[in-house]
Amino acid sequence: MNDPRPHLSLRLRRRRVRDRLATLLITAGGVGVVVSVLAIGVFLALEVVPLFLGEDALNARELWHPQPVEGYAEPQHRWRPEPLVEGDTTHFGMAPLVWGTLKAALWALLFAVPLALGAAMHSALYMPRRLRARLKPTLELMEALPGVVIGFVAGMLLAPWVERHLAAALLLLVALPFGALLAGGLRALLPVPLQQRLPLGWAGLWLAPWLLLVGGATLWLGPALEAALVGGDLRGWLADTLGLDYAARNAMIVGLAMGFAVIPGIYALAEDALVGVPDSLGEGAQALGATRWQTLCKVVLPAAAPGIFSAMMIGAGRAVGETMIVLMASGNTALMSLNPMEGLRSLSATIAIELPEAAVGGTHYRLLFLAALVLFAFTFLVNTLAEGVRTRLRHRYRRLEGGA
Amino acid sequence: MSVFTSSPAAGGPIIDFAASESSLEIAGLSIAYGEKSALRDLTLRIPRHRVTAFIGPSGCGKSTLLRALNRLHDLNEEVVRRGEVRLEGQDIHAPQVDVAELRRRVGMVFQAPNPFPMSIYDNVAFGLRLQGGMRKRQIDDTVEWALQSAALWEEVKDRLRASAWTLSGGQQQRLVIARTLAVQPEVLLLDEPASALDPISTLKIEELIRNLKSRLSLVLVTHNMQQAARVSDYTAFLQRGELVEYGPTQTLFTNPRLRRTENYITGRMT
Amino acid sequence: MRTLWHRRGEGPWPWLAAGSVALSLLMLLALLLLLSVRGLGHFWPDEVALVMPQDGQPFAGVAVREERIPGGEARERLYFTGNHDLDGDRWRWVEVSAIAAIRHPAELVVLERSRWGQFLGRLVAVVGDGERHSGEAAWPALQARLAELDALRDERDRLRDDVVVPLVRRLENSGSLGDAESRAALAAAQARIRELQSAMGGDTLILESVDGRRIAQPLDLVLRAWRPNAMTPPQKLMAWSEGVWRFLSEGPRAANSAGGVWPAIFGTVLMVLLMSLVVTPFGVLAGIYLNEVAHQGPLTRLVRIGVRNLAGVPSIVYGVFGLGVFVYGIGGTLDEWFFSDRLPSPTFGTGGLLWASLTLALLTLPVVIVATEEGLARVPDHQREGALALGATRMEMLTRVVLPMTLPAMLTGMILAVARAAGEVAPLMLVGVAKLAPQVPVDGDFPFLHLERKFMHLGYHIYDAAFHGDDVQAAMPLVFATALLLVLVILVLNLTAIFLRHHLRARHGAPRW
Repeated sequence: MNDPRPHLSLRLRRRRVRDRLATLLITAGGVGVVVSVLAIGVFLALEVVPLFLGEDALNARELWHPQPVEGYAEPQHRWRPEPLVEGDTTHFGMAPLVWGTLKAALWALLFAVPLALGAAMHSALYMPRRLRARLKPTLELMEALPGVVIGFVAGMLLAPWVERHLAAALLLLVALPFGALLAGGLRALLPVPLQQRLPLGWAGLWLAPWLLLVGGATLWLGPALEAALVGGDLRGWLADTLGLDYAARNAMIVGLAMGFAVIPGIYALAEDALVGVPDSLGEGAQALGATRWQTLCKVVLPAAAPGIFSAMMIGAGRAVGETMIVLMASGNTALMSLNPMEGLRSLSATIAIELPEAAVGGTHYRLLFLAALVLFAFTFLVNTLAEGVRTRLRHRYRRLEGGA
Repeated sequence: MSVFTSSPAAGGPIIDFAASESSLEIAGLSIAYGEKSALRDLTLRIPRHRVTAFIGPSGCGKSTLLRALNRLHDLNEEVVRRGEVRLEGQDIHAPQVDVAELRRRVGMVFQAPNPFPMSIYDNVAFGLRLQGGMRKRQIDDTVEWALQSAALWEEVKDRLRASAWTLSGGQQQRLVIARTLAVQPEVLLLDEPASALDPISTLKIEELIRNLKSRLSLVLVTHNMQQAARVSDYTAFLQRGELVEYGPTQTLFTNPRLRRTENYITGRMT
Repeated sequence: MRTLWHRRGEGPWPWLAAGSVALSLLMLLALLLLLSVRGLGHFWPDEVALVMPQDGQPFAGVAVREERIPGGEARERLYFTGNHDLDGDRWRWVEVSAIAAIRHPAELVVLERSRWGQFLGRLVAVVGDGERHSGEAAWPALQARLAELDALRDERDRLRDDVVVPLVRRLENSGSLGDAESRAALAAAQARIRELQSAMGGDTLILESVDGRRIAQPLDLVLRAWRPNAMTPPQKLMAWSEGVWRFLSEGPRAANSAGGVWPAIFGTVLMVLLMSLVVTPFGVLAGIYLNEVAHQGPLTRLVRIGVRNLAGVPSIVYGVFGLGVFVYGIGGTLDEWFFSDRLPSPTFGTGGLLWASLTLALLTLPVVIVATEEGLARVPDHQREGALALGATRMEMLTRVVLPMTLPAMLTGMILAVARAAGEVAPLMLVGVAKLAPQVPVDGDFPFLHLERKFMHLGYHIYDAAFHGDDVQAAMPLVFATALLLVLVILVLNLTAIFLRHHLRARHGAPRW
């Protein structure tokens, strides 16, 4: 028993060696994988460097400032990296692409953020736990829908449909929120037993057929309203009165489609932030007689604000980088206009279209790498910021819960 | 050989066994979690084939001490250690010591039962299979022997292939003890082994502890003073990371030398 | 917050919030419904209408949809009329009020042809081998001849794929003239094919459009024929399931606007499989390293955040990386070293199956790493300590206790990675997808799996058919069917992952004592 065994047995030594070897292997593999993944940014940067160094370096001004274009008095932002015909000059103004990217992302967020936040508030605050446990995976499925399918439906179906029914489509944007409010008002008029059959917690489900009804009515009324207000041709009226051009595939369509794609992501993170707010906070306010909505606005939302902010940042990151939806629903015209009813061309779509044909190592090729680098840096930074905010928020909640 | 380990502090250890009878020797052991000190300059000896209990208020460092005895702290990079622990005269932190082998010799049972998600048989055979070099027949025999030693054999012999998670809490804890006994440790560390169990299971565990001391040395950490009084031969009282009083259980509970010990034992201070 | 119940009204705003849930669900439902109806409906043999406009000639067509004419109450209807060779167009808009009568005569036939698309009209006679079946006898004769033709075509295709193509390739590779035996075998096979071809030809159909124009249609260009107006519902159902099967098992025709998607299904599955072969071991390795081996300091935390954030980097960026590093970098070098005899036409220096799989593996690596890490973090520490306390080394603890418990989490990660990869198209456009690659990358030629070949992909097929065809309108039904297929595959994968994860949580969350 008291033999301290100064020499390890052979078997023990073998186990020890095996442990060391495996640790070494895992370390090597792990470090290798992590480094190679993180090397993406470095590689892109290295490919871009020759653009600005060396003999035929580009002037950074050329990229971001208007350049003189043949046939125009004023200097223009122009993206034409390959000559269309022999002898044509090339223009490397990337501003329209960045503009298009941001414009698409902005419209997507404009559409997605209210919907996603509304859904998050409703499910975090009002929904019964069991229903919420079902809703989350459903919306997760929505996130999994491939961009190419959404882009196809948006570009091939939605865009032509909206083009034909512009007035009704715009009207829908007003009618649907109004319809939801109307449902609440009408429910208050119902006798109490009926009201209890339609609880607010389940409104996410029973409002759906009602909204469908409202939508149908709007589509039916649309043409009449269009005829009464603008003489039956909204597009013509827009062009004549406001000087706005309309393209079938435009920023609004992209926003709608991409909004659809980013809703689930924003929803999931915002909901996490709202549910994570310690119950004690809200219960304190409710004990003082606040309604749940007042509690939400006064107490829960401010507490969860950083989380909601980071949810929006991550949504923005996704919207900026999304490729197939923009490619299929935007028309890919490199314009710089504020008009939401004109096409656009984003960085990601430009890469997808042009990179396979660009000559390896040429200016065009490297510029597209620059575009990729910009996308990479932007999304990476935005996500890091959001992640940092979220981590700090989690710590704060833990402290609050510990203190309660 | 001195019978007493001299200590300047009044209330230091009164030990009535010879140094050659000690299984573990702790000499000037200090442990800190980063900046936070958990144990300060602890020196004591733990006798062979006896039950030694550590008592003290929560956060006094008794669990920390237990984990130091089989180097479980190695997992935590924040932990800083000073001082020595000797198992049968050999420093357990010496570079040639194999940690895995040390942990086999110094077994440990935790507060909550932690059977692995596998069958009862596989749980007990787990350690044996790590050692390797045993035939199926030998493993079978050892598993039966270990389960009998842990007084569990009669209850599970018909369902050795059932998942260990189907056992009750008390049975799970005895299974964990059997699993540890199977690799034939010299010392068994028990970290509040009955704190998650009902009274009847607790009694069974305590009986088991008393029966096991003929085979190995046991170190028991508990916050239950009755338990310490019932099962242990020696008791050490720790407070704020320091050893306050250490001696035969009988003496410590009936006639403590220090006011601090008495206050704690009589419940005037927690 | 959930526990208190208020009698007081909540005001109008909660209704907006509830409405956004309803609207989101509605949109999701509408999209799925649209894909299902349009995707599956395409295979249903629709009735062919004989339309008599008030002025002008009658025509036969399948009603597609109705629209209001802008600026008025009148409506117009779109008919699919086929007969591209006669009319120069396949579509026809008619004002609804201008239709005098619509009938559905049972004798109208629809022919699926390998040239000129569908024919809608009447069958007058089947002429061949000196025989002429006309009137009532024409339809059964046509059915019989078509069945014979199918058998002949099958034999020809098998001969071509299994005998001729491998032989030709072997002869090409062996450089000079090859061995006499192979050449003889090739000659025999080619002779047999010519024989089959001539057996197929010769017969002619006399067809008549409903306005009375006749054409002679060589029978060997007719693939299928049916009389939708004469079919009973069970017959239609049979035809429908046959159509679905054809869609899944055949290759595309007519510039991807007709036929099936089999090569695309095959390409997608193969690519995703290769990808998971790469991504799973590496992702798991990195996850284990980060969670179990690495020093848990600020650097590891930083790396962990970095890896997580890579999941948010746009897929097109990975495509650019893949193109630059894999295709032009590694592929170009491989070509210089091993395939210099084929230069300047690239072998590995162009997009292909291997590079696409690797790029997507890189893209999905964060998914697997994060899932593995979460699984590892969910294993309670006392399990690890229990193993260590029995004298296990760290590796023994990992392999015998921790990893078995993490297995479902790793599986979930892999499935999520596969689901993500199956839907990604943008990076593939840079690293190896092809518009049309009827040759699947697996065949009987050594080395059987051709990693350098381009491949077809369901997602890219959607993009290409919807945006790059000549007659997008005609391709639409197939695009819908393809989109439905893709969505179904991805939904099933995701549901599996969700189920696994739920199962996992239930198991680890349940109290055990």
